[in-house]
Amino acid sequence: MTAFAPADRVGAVVTPDAVYVAPLPDGPILVLEGTAALVWETALGSSREAVAERVAAATAMPIDDIRAEVDGFLERLVAQGLLVVAPAGRY
Amino acid sequence: MSEEAGAVAAVAVPLDVRITLARSAIQVIADDSGCDLLHIKGAAVDRSLRAVVASGTDVDALVRPEHVARLDLALRAHGWRVYSTFLHGSPFGHAQTYWHPTWGYFDLHRFFPGVRIPAADAFAMMWAESHGLALPGATGRVPALEMQATLLVLNAARNQMRDSDPVARWVDDAGLERAGVEKCVDRLRAHVAFAAAAGELEHFRGAPDYALWKVVSQGGSRTAEWWARIRAADSLREALLIAARAPLVNAEQLEHDLGRRPTPRELVAGMIDRWKRGARELAGSRSPRSTS
Repeated sequence: MTAFAPADRVGAVVTPDAVYVAPLPDGPILVLEGTAALVWETALGSSREAVAERVAAATAMPIDDIRAEVDGFLERLVAQGLLVVAPAGRY
Repeated sequence: MSEEAGAVAAVAVPLDVRITLARSAIQVIADDSGCDLLHIKGAAVDRSLRAVVASGTDVDALVRPEHVARLDLALRAHGWRVYSTFLHGSPFGHAQTYWHPTWGYFDLHRFFPGVRIPAADAFAMMWAESHGLALPGATGRVPALEMQATLLVLNAARNQMRDSDPVARWVDDAGLERAGVEKCVDRLRAHVAFAAAAGELEHFRGAPDYALWKVVSQGGSRTAEWWARIRAADSLREALLIAARAPLVNAEQLEHDLGRRPTPRELVAGMIDRWKRGARELAGSRSPRSTS
């Protein structure tokens, strides 16, 4: 079983308005707002399958309408070195 | 969702968020370069000491003195620029300020004003009793609770306009035993600065650093400050260095005032102005004596 976790040397600060994520030590600070922030927060400790389900439940949108977008965004966060897929329970 | 999800926007980052992440960035640089540092002030202060959570406006850290040069190089390699140097930042020469376009300001402390034991010994003592500080993406260290309170009181001695009773604020109101803090003061030999914060400076009239803390905590002329620095110096060599520097214009301050690098003509004009001001202050301080 695997789940998403922040990558090593990545700092994240969650506020009511946005999630601020930064590769350390050089930055830049990336600002995730709206659904992007929701995906980040939902992803931590969740499996890939569960993220889309939870985002769909939180936004009251059909899961089939958002799964591809959510998966694509998660891929992007992983590709940018901000998230990693790790054994569940690490986060 | 895609437009929103892709919002890695160039928007303003709240100051507290930027400082929180800056602290992590500095910790990672310190870790990578093998430098020991203790986070102090702002959000690094234990929550039990803070009635109101305030992040401050910059990151402050005390660095093991033997590691200062190495950390300086590492910071510069990561895009940090020196904003003001040890020599010109404060009367104590204790901190160097850096600036980074992403992270903002960082005050690197090589010692803490008011502490009279050697800086390396003070750091080693604090490091041995320090504990972990969870940061986003990193782990730092902070001094023990009583030591944090002691440093905050010493720091407040320099800001008495803002903090009129720092001992009550950082010790009594926080529920700490005064004896624990006084033990830290003893070990650091920080009695004069602590007395300045507590409003009891006059008990230390004969101390070498009495005049310096009087000027720092209660105000005084530029000339009085330089004389006080010379009298507080730990050695003749240090006193001579301070004396040799006294008439020089603070080029960094002039650059900040002008918003650009000063020209040689402006530096000379600043130096002459400083000499004139010093002469006026000296004349002013002598005139009452000559009439008595």
